[in-house]
Amino acid sequence: LDFETAAGERLPVIANAVERRDADGELLFTALVVIKAADRRRYERQLVDSRSELQRGLASEREAGELREQFIAVLGHDLRNPLAAISAGARILQRSGALQQHKELRILDMINSTVTRMSDLIDNILDFARGRLGGGITLNRDANQPLKPVLDQVVDELRTASPQRLIETSFEITGSVNCDRTRIGQLASNLIGNALTHGARDRPVHVGAKTDDHEFTLWVANAGEPIPETAMQRLFEPFFRGDVRDSRQGLGLGLHIASQIAQAHGGRIEVTSTPDETRFVFRMPLTQTALN
Amino acid sequence: MARLSPVILIVEDEFLLRMDSAEVIENAGFEVVQAANADEAIAILTARPNIHVVFTDIQMPGSMDGLKLAQFVRDRWPPIKIVATSGLVRVDDDDLPAGSVFLPKPYRGGELVAALRELTSTT
Repeated sequence: LDFETAAGERLPVIANAVERRDADGELLFTALVVIKAADRRRYERQLVDSRSELQRGLASEREAGELREQFIAVLGHDLRNPLAAISAGARILQRSGALQQHKELRILDMINSTVTRMSDLIDNILDFARGRLGGGITLNRDANQPLKPVLDQVVDELRTASPQRLIETSFEITGSVNCDRTRIGQLASNLIGNALTHGARDRPVHVGAKTDDHEFTLWVANAGEPIPETAMQRLFEPFFRGDVRDSRQGLGLGLHIASQIAQAHGGRIEVTSTPDETRFVFRMPLTQTALN
Repeated sequence: MARLSPVILIVEDEFLLRMDSAEVIENAGFEVVQAANADEAIAILTARPNIHVVFTDIQMPGSMDGLKLAQFVRDRWPPIKIVATSGLVRVDDDDLPAGSVFLPKPYRGGELVAALRELTSTT
């Protein structure tokens, strides 16, 4: 449909009409919309443009995300390698028996504990980055290998890292646990690390694990100030940090990652905190599927 | 046959890691030879015929990484067993020659020694 303007030029338009009738079918009104064709084309063009701009933005965002993920994975590995070398160096010195002075041995212990702390930090950062970037926590479940040696190792490392603290364990794992043992070790390490950081320094941290017919349970308990009600709500959020006295404070990722690992196993972590005791309990159902 | 200690060739570019593994393996009663990269490893393998196991890191600078070295060793010296390790990649069975062992990093000295004992007792 073309209009002719006062100046005598042709003006292409698009007309659209809608009518509304009452219940008896009587015509109430007819709405007629006339849009300059050029304008409509421009609107459509703009819509198409902004959509492809969005798509381009999304694509480049995804690309940047993938690059970031790769970057973090490579960084994680590149940080772990020199750290492993430091730890190997400390082991060589320890084995050689060349260092005998109390001070020297204490320094070796501190090197080991610092390596453990840093390596846990790297693990947590990598997991957080992977989780955020869509990878999630992937599990390599294996029901055929025993879980207890992994937990013993985690406790040993933390004992070495905090020689002045007491960690008491009672492990009664009778059934096989179809889990990712490395991940459950990391979960235990994060919970025990948390108890060492926040618990009373002169009281032991208790760690227990057991299986029954349908469930695997791991618990970590410490004495000391109870967790404030306000903090309770946010314990498992990333970057949540409680009040701590020393430099042991991490990034606030430990409990978050632990809860992610619990979820990936179809389990969960519950907390109770009273003036007597703060206790984290991880429970996961025992499944016998996926035995690969 | 009455045997001498099995000989293990460690291929690892990180000096302290190599030294640590070498001590662990030696203390477990093996004889150890060390190489810092695949080229050194091949030179050693060519020079001495009595290596039983090559224990190699997978990420290594140089002309060959550990996976390529493992394949090369299998093609050229089929009886030599391979243990590969990595902290970055998880290796599938098809990435390594048949009969090889993959040990994810970080591994404990005991795990390494157990893997080496298993490989060397069956030869």
